[in-house]
Amino acid sequence: MIELESVSKHYGDVIAVDALSLCVAKGELLALVGGSGCGKTTTLKMVNRLIEPTRGRIRIGGRDTEELSGPELRRRIGYCFQQVGLFPHLSVARNVGVTPELLGWERGRIQRRVDELLELVELEPGRYRDRAPAELSGGQQQRVGLARALAAQPEVLLMDEPFGALDPLTRDRLQERFDEIRSRLDITTLFVTHDVAEAIRLGDRIAVMEAGCLLQIGTPGELLRAPADEAVRRLLETPRRQAQQLEALLHAAEAV
Amino acid sequence: MSELWARFPEYLAGHLELSLAALGLGAAIGIPLGVWIARRPKAAPGLLAVVGAAQTIPSLALLAFMVPALAAIGALTSRAFGFAPRAIGTGPALAALTLYGVLPILQNTVTGLRGVDPACREAARGVGMTPRQELWRVELPLALPVIVAGLRTAAVWVVGTATLSTPVGAPSLGNYIFSGLQTRNYASVTLGCVAAAGLAFLLDQAIRAIEGSLRRGRRARAAAVAASVLGLASAAALFGAGGIGAAPRTLAIGAKTFTEQYVLSELLAGWIEEAGGPPARVLPSLGSTVLYDALRAGELDVYVDYSGTLWATTLHGAGPPPPRAALLEEVRRGIAADGVVVAAALGFENTYALAMRADRARALGVASCSDLARRSPELEIGADYEFLARPEWRSLVSTYGFAFRAARSMDPSLMYQALAQRELDVISAFSTDGRIPALGLVLLRDDRAVIPSYDAVVLVGARLARERPDVVARLGRLEGRIDEASMQELNRAVDEQGRAPREVAREWLAAH
Repeated sequence: MIELESVSKHYGDVIAVDALSLCVAKGELLALVGGSGCGKTTTLKMVNRLIEPTRGRIRIGGRDTEELSGPELRRRIGYCFQQVGLFPHLSVARNVGVTPELLGWERGRIQRRVDELLELVELEPGRYRDRAPAELSGGQQQRVGLARALAAQPEVLLMDEPFGALDPLTRDRLQERFDEIRSRLDITTLFVTHDVAEAIRLGDRIAVMEAGCLLQIGTPGELLRAPADEAVRRLLETPRRQAQQLEALLHAAEAV
Repeated sequence: MSELWARFPEYLAGHLELSLAALGLGAAIGIPLGVWIARRPKAAPGLLAVVGAAQTIPSLALLAFMVPALAAIGALTSRAFGFAPRAIGTGPALAALTLYGVLPILQNTVTGLRGVDPACREAARGVGMTPRQELWRVELPLALPVIVAGLRTAAVWVVGTATLSTPVGAPSLGNYIFSGLQTRNYASVTLGCVAAAGLAFLLDQAIRAIEGSLRRGRRARAAAVAASVLGLASAAALFGAGGIGAAPRTLAIGAKTFTEQYVLSELLAGWIEEAGGPPARVLPSLGSTVLYDALRAGELDVYVDYSGTLWATTLHGAGPPPPRAALLEEVRRGIAADGVVVAAALGFENTYALAMRADRARALGVASCSDLARRSPELEIGADYEFLARPEWRSLVSTYGFAFRAARSMDPSLMYQALAQRELDVISAFSTDGRIPALGLVLLRDDRAVIPSYDAVVLVGARLARERPDVVARLGRLEGRIDEASMQELNRAVDEQGRAPREVAREWLAAH
């Protein structure tokens, strides 16, 4: 469980996140959506303290994140982001095993865990274990990134537009695979995206942010049925509107 | 040729040790400093500019500057800790070369670290690395190829610049180049250049091989290459004794960078040894002011200087110089304040004089400096490295009113060659130079007595004077033993007949 209690981040006079409170229940995936610069990534990075909050408190599983040092905290939290950031000088296996290695697991346990995770993300361990990241496609790299985030059995997972840079087909396959993995592992996840369709597809609940504030939080159904304001309504209707426009265009094309 | 090769192991060892030490120190300073700077983007440009500026100081000047700088530091440390680094020899050379080696290493460390993909740095923090782990496990390995490229650049620079450490008293392959240029022994110059270039190439390739093996995870091979470089250095060190300061301490005899000094230093060494004195070690090709400073600091024991030089540059004598005997007496008293003793006046003067080709002087009707002044606007003068900066030159100009079309400082051997080939009209010359009779030159009369007398005097440092009065007495027996004609003859044997200074000196000793 992740709890944010009136958390703010100020950069000089600029307020990036303004007294935000929200809660991600155990095993739940909360999708954080909003336009560029709305503060969603800042909010996510304050959870693992890649960015230190100016004010407010954050608890994970009931414990204040300030109780641990930044590196210790981050070893207990899985973190995935759009650029993946695999270490190019290390093999796939060493990339996946990096957090267990930092935690001082013994070698055999790390090896077993790496193979288990590579299988989980559907990369055959025997074929991929010793490859260099540069030999992998973008989708394969992101799978390795996900395996690395999950390697040390974290209580929570933070994902910052993890599928944003992939081609549509790969993204679709990875979203599906990720949904299966998550429901199997039952892991609490905060998921930042600007793609509302992705939020609806993966999110148990959706939180909509604008200008550092929370506009509304609820299940996709609740948000569609009773949007708090016009902005939320327009945002949530985007996928349907796009689908309708597309449908019309396809229909016209077929008629010719 | 065998004479040349005899000192090869010593010079090569000195060169290699100096270069490796400077490179090691350069890396030990440059890499941590680079890491520190890379994390402070605001301070970086300023700091890099300061180090870059140090790099643009001409190497020879930087090396020479290290001598008084180290002497000053030594004065402080000996007061505080009773210990002082030596001001000549390996110390100043190492300090200057290290300074040169630092920049490429520092710059490439900063560039390499800055070039690490920000996504990798974010991932490193995201998986829970501490800043130290991030540096060692991610940033340094990724920056390594760029840092190694900096090391290779530094290696080539340092090995090349180390040839210039000869004038501050650190033996290196540069000894071949300096003494070869002076005695017009081009085999010696070539040997020095080729050996230094070969060494630079080998070191560069060795570093490349180490990095390549490291990157492919072949630590054993990297260690083998590193070990063989170090092994070569220590093997060479066993052959050649270290530079100044090699223990047990022998008598150190210095020489300036010209033929007469090479001959006299060998002659003094033989003269002392003949009488059962301590074994003497000759340090050739030291800079003129480096010598006196080193003698005063007790790092040299004996060398030959000239009364007029001491009067003008050490005692800062000004105005019209006193006559020969009075000047010598004044110098004797003046340098006694530094504890330096004049053991003997050898009996000849090697004075500065202006020289022309005899035929040219006749054609222009020039026999004295006053004659020369009238013709100077159409003439070009060449001078050795220091002459145009010396007080004698200023006195000549202000007294006679010289206004030459051009005046250039250059290597003395090349200067004589240029005069012989009519590319220069007038040169600064030493009156004992063997090339004066050989090339048919005439010395112009100093008709208004501007240039002081330059009696060759044997100087002895305070330590030796105190501990070995027998050596001082032995040197005293050289008083008046070499006249101008004999000295010209000795110089001519080296410069014109291409014989080794040591051999010429031995011959004189056998005959006296």
